[in-house]
Amino acid sequence: MKSKRSILGTTILIVWAIVSVWPIWFFATIALRPRVEIITPEPIYWPTFTIETWAKIWDEWPMMKYFFNSMVTVAGSVFICLLLGIPAAYSLARYRYKGREDIGNYILSTKMMAPAVVAIPLFVLFAKFNMLDSIWALMMVYSATNLSIVVWIIRSYMIDIPHEVEDAARTDGASDLRILWEIIIPMCLPGIITAAVIASVFAMNEYFLTLIIGRREAYTMSIALANFKGGSDGIIYNAIALIAFMAFFPILALVISIQNHLSRGLTMGAVKG
Amino acid sequence: MTVTTIQTPIRRRSARSRKLLPYLLVMPAVIYLLLITLYPGIYALIRSFYSGKFKLEWAGFDNYAQLFSDGQFANSIWNTVLQGSITLGVEFVIALTLAALVYRDPWVKGFRIIFLLPMLLMPSAVAFIWKLMFNDGRIISDLLKRIGLIDYNVDWMFSPFLARFVVIFVDVWQWTPFLFIIFVAGLQGQDKEVEEAARLDGASWTTLFFNITLPMMQPIIAVALILRGIDIVNMFTPIQVITQGAPGGATETLGYYIQRVGWDGPNFGYASAASVLVLIFTIIISQVLVRRYFRSGTES
Repeated sequence: MKSKRSILGTTILIVWAIVSVWPIWFFATIALRPRVEIITPEPIYWPTFTIETWAKIWDEWPMMKYFFNSMVTVAGSVFICLLLGIPAAYSLARYRYKGREDIGNYILSTKMMAPAVVAIPLFVLFAKFNMLDSIWALMMVYSATNLSIVVWIIRSYMIDIPHEVEDAARTDGASDLRILWEIIIPMCLPGIITAAVIASVFAMNEYFLTLIIGRREAYTMSIALANFKGGSDGIIYNAIALIAFMAFFPILALVISIQNHLSRGLTMGAVKG
Repeated sequence: MTVTTIQTPIRRRSARSRKLLPYLLVMPAVIYLLLITLYPGIYALIRSFYSGKFKLEWAGFDNYAQLFSDGQFANSIWNTVLQGSITLGVEFVIALTLAALVYRDPWVKGFRIIFLLPMLLMPSAVAFIWKLMFNDGRIISDLLKRIGLIDYNVDWMFSPFLARFVVIFVDVWQWTPFLFIIFVAGLQGQDKEVEEAARLDGASWTTLFFNITLPMMQPIIAVALILRGIDIVNMFTPIQVITQGAPGGATETLGYYIQRVGWDGPNFGYASAASVLVLIFTIIISQVLVRRYFRSGTES
């Protein structure tokens, strides 16, 4: 059953590929063109390629800080997620106890919490502890919003590990925690990496809660780009495009590295394949 | 399944500490999540009975009464439902079509990466791409003029219809890949033999797809649509960047409304009341959905 695709089918695929890729390409040229060629009476599709604006952008805005803030908050939040999430996933996947289903469902249901609901209380909470505009606050928020995903993805991979593996170790007298550390974690490493990558992407993208907590100091790339405005300059699309791609390429590399686990990760383990 | 956890008492550990261990392992995560969900819920509930931003005054049910007579609140719910259901429907149809076209293709991995790309840009960046395309740079108008569909620049924020189109379009562009990836995996995972057998019986492509493949995919489709639906209901970024609710609140979603009345408006209490209503709704929905559709794999 090879290539029985109709002309219509091929056309649909080509059209959607162009619709997906062309705007990204066009936006890449925005980063690479002089400012005067961005908003013009007639759009310019093939600009004079230059990176001269980059130096100016770099001088006027703390680009490295935005990049650094994003990286630190993402890495920190993923670390917290794994620290809390791996034991929780192990507990949910490998033990039978009263309330297990309810605890698992509760963890999952936090994914459904509307950010708009938590925004005001979190704002007040962080204000009380003088943590507004702090990257630590962002780290906590990101890890809390992603913990449910991390737990459920890792749990799904742990369930697949056959019990015999543990039984053998247990007869040899290994403790439960040692089994987790020396056997289970190495065996479900693909799941842990998948969870970490997906949590990274979501943390990197977070906009709404970051907007509420961040001021100048704790701007991440995601909200910094919404603030590239300069009086008479209007919206500085060069800088927006530049920072968009500074975030895009690391994420692309991460996601390609887990591409065969992506569907399982995105459905929190509900779809295997 | 009857795989009992092994309880061979080889190690002389007290039964109690063994019983306690699973709770100890799961508790840190639960406490952390309670802090970020239970606390805001309670805070919003208390605050919803007060008015004022810094100096609190008891208001009883005033906030709720006001909310129920607030046309803008009702309007934002309506917009969320209307835009949300159209967005989800369009994404579903496109993603399923694309997935059905490529899942047995030898180049499926290549298609997957290409179609995935929009999803990997930050949503705020995506919002600015389309702000430039539709509004500031007039790129879309220019392209439409070139192929002869229109002969003037369209003001996309002028009519509710066009503004909603833009909001829906942006979400479809970025997030159709999410469903696509999941559907491809689901289709690839289906039993090839069933498919072959039906084909040998002379079933046409359409019968096969609608009578066998789709019913088999149903649980996967449900999970995918729930996850996408949650994000669509909470949609905020493109509204804030591109339309800010324009024209005249026609694209204002619930999330954007709460943020607007909470931050720009007179008090947190009013926004908190709206939050509480959303929260109650969320709890009911999530209980039903989680219990019903995320069961797979629980049987261990």
